[in-house]
Formats: sequence, C-alpha cells, structure tokens
Amino acid sequence: MPPTEPAIIVENLSKTYQVPEREAGFGAAMRSFFKRKYKDVRAVQNVSFNIQPGEIVGFLGPNGAGKTTTLKMLSGLLHPSAGKARVLGFTPWELKNTYLKSMTLVMGQRNRLSWDIPAADSFLLNQAIYRLTDDEYNATLKELDELLELGPLLKKPVRNLSLGERMKCEIAAGLLHRPKVLFLDEPTIGLDISGQLRIREFLREYNRRSGATILLTSHYMADVTALCERIVIIHQGQLKYDGGIVDLSRRIAPYKLIGVLLSDAETHNLERYGTPVDNEEDSEKRYIQVSAEDVTAVTARMLAELPVHDITITDPPIEAVIERAFNE
Amino acid sequence: MRTLKLLQTLLKINIQMSLAYRADTVINIFLSLVWLGWEFLSLNIIFSNTTTLGGWGIGELIVLLGVFRLVNTYMAALIWPNTEKFNASVRDGSLDYTLLQPVNSLFMVSFSRITIWRGWEVLLSGSLIVVGTRMSGSISSPLSLLTFFVLVLSGGLVLYSLWVVLIALTFWFTKFDNNVTILQALLDSGRFPATVYPAWLRIIVTFIIPIAVATTVPVQGLRGELSPAQVLGFLGISAAAFLFAMQVWQLGIKRYSGASS
Amino acid sequence: MLNIFKHFWQVNWAENWQYRANLLMYLFYWLVSPIIYMAVWTTVARSNGSVNGMTANDFIVYYMTLLVIDQLTGNITIHIFAYKIQDGTLAGELIRPVHPMLTNTLVTNLAHKALNFLAFLPIWGVLCLLFRPDYTGTPWWGPILAVPAVILGFAIGFLLSGAITCVAFWTTRVWALHEFYYSILVLFSGQFVPLQLMPGIVQQMARYLPFQLILYFPIQLTLGRLSPTEIVTGFASALVWLVVSYLLFTWTWREGVKRFSAVGA
Repeated sequence: MPPTEPAIIVENLSKTYQVPEREAGFGAAMRSFFKRKYKDVRAVQNVSFNIQPGEIVGFLGPNGAGKTTTLKMLSGLLHPSAGKARVLGFTPWELKNTYLKSMTLVMGQRNRLSWDIPAADSFLLNQAIYRLTDDEYNATLKELDELLELGPLLKKPVRNLSLGERMKCEIAAGLLHRPKVLFLDEPTIGLDISGQLRIREFLREYNRRSGATILLTSHYMADVTALCERIVIIHQGQLKYDGGIVDLSRRIAPYKLIGVLLSDAETHNLERYGTPVDNEEDSEKRYIQVSAEDVTAVTARMLAELPVHDITITDPPIEAVIERAFNE
Repeated sequence: MRTLKLLQTLLKINIQMSLAYRADTVINIFLSLVWLGWEFLSLNIIFSNTTTLGGWGIGELIVLLGVFRLVNTYMAALIWPNTEKFNASVRDGSLDYTLLQPVNSLFMVSFSRITIWRGWEVLLSGSLIVVGTRMSGSISSPLSLLTFFVLVLSGGLVLYSLWVVLIALTFWFTKFDNNVTILQALLDSGRFPATVYPAWLRIIVTFIIPIAVATTVPVQGLRGELSPAQVLGFLGISAAAFLFAMQVWQLGIKRYSGASS
Repeated sequence: MLNIFKHFWQVNWAENWQYRANLLMYLFYWLVSPIIYMAVWTTVARSNGSVNGMTANDFIVYYMTLLVIDQLTGNITIHIFAYKIQDGTLAGELIRPVHPMLTNTLVTNLAHKALNFLAFLPIWGVLCLLFRPDYTGTPWWGPILAVPAVILGFAIGFLLSGAITCVAFWTTRVWALHEFYYSILVLFSGQFVPLQLMPGIVQQMARYLPFQLILYFPIQLTLGRLSPTEIVTGFASALVWLVVSYLLFTWTWREGVKRFSAVGA
C-alpha cells in the first residue's frame, strides 16, 4: 500500500501577538493616549507535527498555552506569523471554499446556532450553505440523530435547551456536511460528567464509522485519555510532548494529592508522609503529595497515626502536572 | 441559483422568528401609521402656507416621502438587525463561524436578519410614490420613471456601501458599537429636498453621509432635472462606492485574522 | 439628605463620563431634526415673506431657543430605567432606604444633562454663527421668567416619563407605548412645528395637555411672545399638571413595585 499523505502537516508554525501594554493610573492613561507601548506575546512558537488521516489527537495544555491559537490557524481563522501548515492539501488561511466544505470547527464556548429558533432550522440553513442535496442531508441527519440521541431536541428553540443538549446540537450542526477533518475546541467544557461521557462516546463512534481525522483540545485530562491514543502537549506556546498516552504516564511520575482535615488543634508535621503542597481549591484541608504507588500505604499510616476527621485523595490539577513535568 | 436558495432559507428562518412576535408586529404597524399621519400633517401645514418647497410641489414631496420611507424601511428591516447581529458576533466570537462557512462572509453578514413584517411598508412606500406621481402629473414619462427606479436602486447601493464601511471599522476600532447611529441620525434629512438646506448641510448629506443621493436625487431624476451625464455620474459613483466597500471589507477580514499584509 | 444626592451625583457623573463618546453621537443625532425643520421653515418663510406672521428670523430664533430648552427639559428616564425592571436589577435598589427613581434616576438625568450641556454649548455657538439668529427682540425678563417654567417643564416631563416607564412592571411592550407617547409629545409640544402653525383643533387640544409646558411654553416665554394672561394661565396650568403627573407617577410606581415584589423579576 502506498504511504498515505498526512491529513495535517504543521511545520514551524508560530504566532506572535502585539498587545498594548498599559499600567493603571491616570498618568499612564494620558501617556498611552499619545504613545502606545506594545508587548510581544508569543502565543505559539515553532510547533511542528503531522497527523495521519483517521487519527484522533488530543491537544492538552493549561489555559493560555496556545492550543486554541494553533487550532485557529489550522482551521484558517488566523494567519500565522511564521511557518507552514497544510490540511487536506490546502493552506487553511486561504479559506478556499473547497477546504471549508471538508472541515469543521466546533468551539465549546461559542455558539453557532441561532438562539431563538429550533436547531432544526439552523440545520436547514447549513444545508443551504453547504449545498447538500436532500438525500445527503437526510441521511447524515438520521445518522447523527441516532448517535447523539437528538430526537425532540431539534424542535425546541435553542434558548430552551440545557448546556449538554445544546452542545450535542452544536456538534451535529458542525457535522452535517460530513467533514473529513474535525477541529474541536474544548467541546466538553461546562458539561457534567454524563454529558462529557456522551460526547466522548459519540466522537469515538463517529471516528470509527467515518474515518474522519479529529483534533481535539481540552484542559480536562479525562477527555484526552478516553479518546486519544496520541497526545500533544502545548505549554507556553511550545510543543513539549508528542506521543502516546502510555509513554506520557511514564514520563510524568504519577502522583496523587492526599488532603486531610485533622480534628485536634495541634500542629502535626506531615512531612513524614509526603511533600506538603498548597491546594488553592481547598483551603480547609492540608495537602501532601504522594507518589501513586505509595498512596494506599501512606493513607493507612495516616489514618492510624493521626486524628483524621476527613480525608480525600485527588488527582493533581493538569496545570500542576505539566508545570512539574516540563519545568524541571 | 444557489444564492437564491440561500436567500430563500434565510427568509424562511426570519419569517419564523417574526411569527414568535406577532403582537409586536401589529403594534409596530400601528406606530408606523401614527408617524405617517404626522408626516401628512407636516406636509399639510407646509403646503397650506406655500405652493412649492425648494421648487417642488406637494406631489413631488409625497413621492419623496415614499422614497424616504423606502430607505427607512431598508434601514429598519435590514441594516439595523444585521448591525446588531454583527456587533454581537464580533463580541462573542461567533463571527468566526461565519468566516468559516463556504459562502461569502459579507453576504451572510448583510442578510442573516430580515425583519419580514416590514414588507408592508414597502407597499406603503410604493403607494405614496404612485399617488405623488399622479398628483404632480407632469413628470411621468417612461424615461423619467426608469431613471427614477434606477436611481433609487443605485442610491440604495450607495447607502449599503457606506454601511459596509461603517461596520468594517469595527475590525480596527473594536469599541465602535455606535457605527450605524450616524447613518440613522442624518436619515431624517431625506424627508425634504436637499435644495432646501443651507449649503453646509447639503454638502454633508450629499457627499459625506449621502442620504440625499438615495432620496432627493431619484426624485430629481423623476422630474427630469438631471442630464444623462449626471445620471450616469451617479450610477458610476454607486458602482465605485460598492467596489470600495468590498475592498474595505476584505481588508477588515484580513486584519481580523491577523494577516500581516 | 443632601449627602445622598452628592454621592449619587459623583457616581453618575463618573459613569456618564465613561460613555462620553456615545454621548456625542446621541447629541449629534438629536440635533439633526430641529435643524432640518428650521431649514424647511426658513425656506418657506423667505419665499413668502412670512408664514402666519412668523418671519424667517422668527423661525430661526424659535428653533435655536428650542435646542436650548429641549436640552434643559428633556429626560432619558426610560432608557436608563426600563431595563432595571426587566432584568430584575431594580431589586437591589428597592432595598435601599431611598426612592430609586426620585434619587438615582433623577440625578442620572441631571448629570447626563450637565455633561451634555458642556458639549452642546460650543456646538450651539457654531450653529448661531451659521444661522445668525437675531435675538434683539427678546425682552430681558423673558429668560428670567423662563427659569421656573423650565424647571416645571422638566419636572412634568420627568414624572410623566417615569409613569410610562413604570408600565414596564406589567409588560415588555413599554417601548412601543413610549414611542406612542413620544409621537404625541412631538405633536403637542411644538417640537418640530411651532404650535401656532398647527391647525386650530390641535392648538385647542394642546391647551389642555401638559406637553406644551415642556417646550412651547418655555420657548415663547423666553422670547417674550406671550401676553400677561397667557403667562399666568401657563404657569397655573403647569402647577396643575405638576400635581397631576406627580400623582400619576406615585400611583403607577406603587402599583408597579407591588407587582414586582409579588412576581419577582
């Protein structure tokens, strides 16, 4: 079999923004009126990777890492400052109609569907825009309906749908034209656990049936671990890791956080059990960091030796993992 | 043609949206009629004190009123709703979706919203034009009628081009939410022939915010006041304005997507 | 009590200053119609010598004075208040120990007016240079007498607008109602056409309505165009309408707040 051309080719892609810089205060405001000072923000620096047709690749990274910027360049919304990219043989930011008909971008935090009318009508608009014949349109809609369980949702005004229902319709709207490449930016954001699971299942099944290439960004580790065999980690605009999940967990020493609320007023030294850390999300409990394999043993010791009122075991937030893994 | 099919779908959607607000439609029709009554009263008072205004008789003023209302309907039915939608889409980022659709982005921005029920005002305007033409008697040669229609369309094109430039300014000045207010502000000047205004106002409404090109000029064409050269001149201006507006829009989109050219 | 007003003033002035670009835009918007009508009437007056006894200069002087009076007696209550009822933010103001409309909204109106006036005066100056109104016929006591008339006119306009805005407690159609109110105001206040040019029946009706007290009466007072009887009846009518509009406002407000608290936002 001849080697297939990658669906997505990215070579040294960079994007630098110039952001006006201004300090607070009246004097600074007056000064900036006359002379603007700019700061360079290097949102994406020299990123390169290839993606084969049919792959599902996860883009992971903390907020502001450059994931969305990269996605916008690949979908054609942004012109890069430097570098090249080719998606399905097209240069995305030329926004050729043939390219636009073979890709889709779904952004979890932005709505495409019209608020006041039922989703079904927005779908019809898409049919007209993408020039789908009635047969094509009905067949695709039927399949999406089946996979996403859209049913009665389509008849309700989008305003009346819950966030999860709306997300399903947004995704369906983006797939009516059977694109070969899907760019999904935080598709599960704000959804509850069952909502997230449903979207993930759908994407897996859709990829299996259609062979579409999927590029997905998220800051939920779970999205990525559930769907993607390959992960790309972007941090501060740079590509830090590109490879399989299995290798990743070997790369980042797995650890957990144990949070404990002690019922007496004495200050116990927890350093015997693990590395004390601050947890911004919970100021009541005291937290220590422990390697995953030691968690059970350490927990048992703590329960035996300390007056424990409440104890929790959590995963560290993704930001902390990445910080730790790539800033050493 | 595909564009026609798209327009059809947009119309269907907008009809549906307006059906949800039926009672408002009735109220709005009522208010329109109240203002029409006011306009007739004004004309009545003016013409009980004089026989011509700026050289025009009452028939021509009624035709002008019809053209003015047509322009006003265009503003209310297309320009305002789409301006709101556009400003919102820039603010919340849904403009990105519009740009990724395999349709001309300006087309979608111009026609996504159509206030359907205002269609009746087009009929009203048409009636005013017919009645006014009859009343003034001397001006209904086929050539002058043709000139009139052509100039109405080209005047509309000039206003459309101005609108495109005004909303495109948002790409450079993001806080420029009031982009179209200036167009609406000067719209009232279209009720009366521009010849009545002092020179400085006449210049503003003819060359800067060319409301007069969409209102006074077509009626001048109807009266046969314009030479063929002048008529062609106006057509040329509207074509040039349209091309200029297209360019500005393209530049705006490029700027929005950070193209460094 | 004065402290409360002082505090509201500071806050409202600062807020209005932020929106000054919008302010200029709306000022400009508001100027256009009077200028257009002024141009039309002066053209008619010039070609006929006079209209109903009014010369071209009479018209210019009328409209130039109208611009000033309208700035002083106008109010923006519905624009700054209706949304508070509709989206529920009024609740926050209701629990404070001061009347939301008679304090905050009133002061917003005044701050807005003050700011507008700053921008308006130079523009008015330029318009004077362009149109050259001849004020030599104006008596010195005209503007002085007009001061109480302007205050009364603003108060009446504010209370009536307030009452209309209160309709928002019951329906979202308050904007349509306000537009209808505005169309009547325009007819009977002499805003686009001086009242003395209106058909007799309109002038008759105007006598019994409050709207001319907002524009026409103060304008004619300033220009010294009213007979002593007319001045006295005018002020008497203003006082009556002040009481009526105050009662109307307090009644709609009370009923509206009851409904608001019962139904929620």
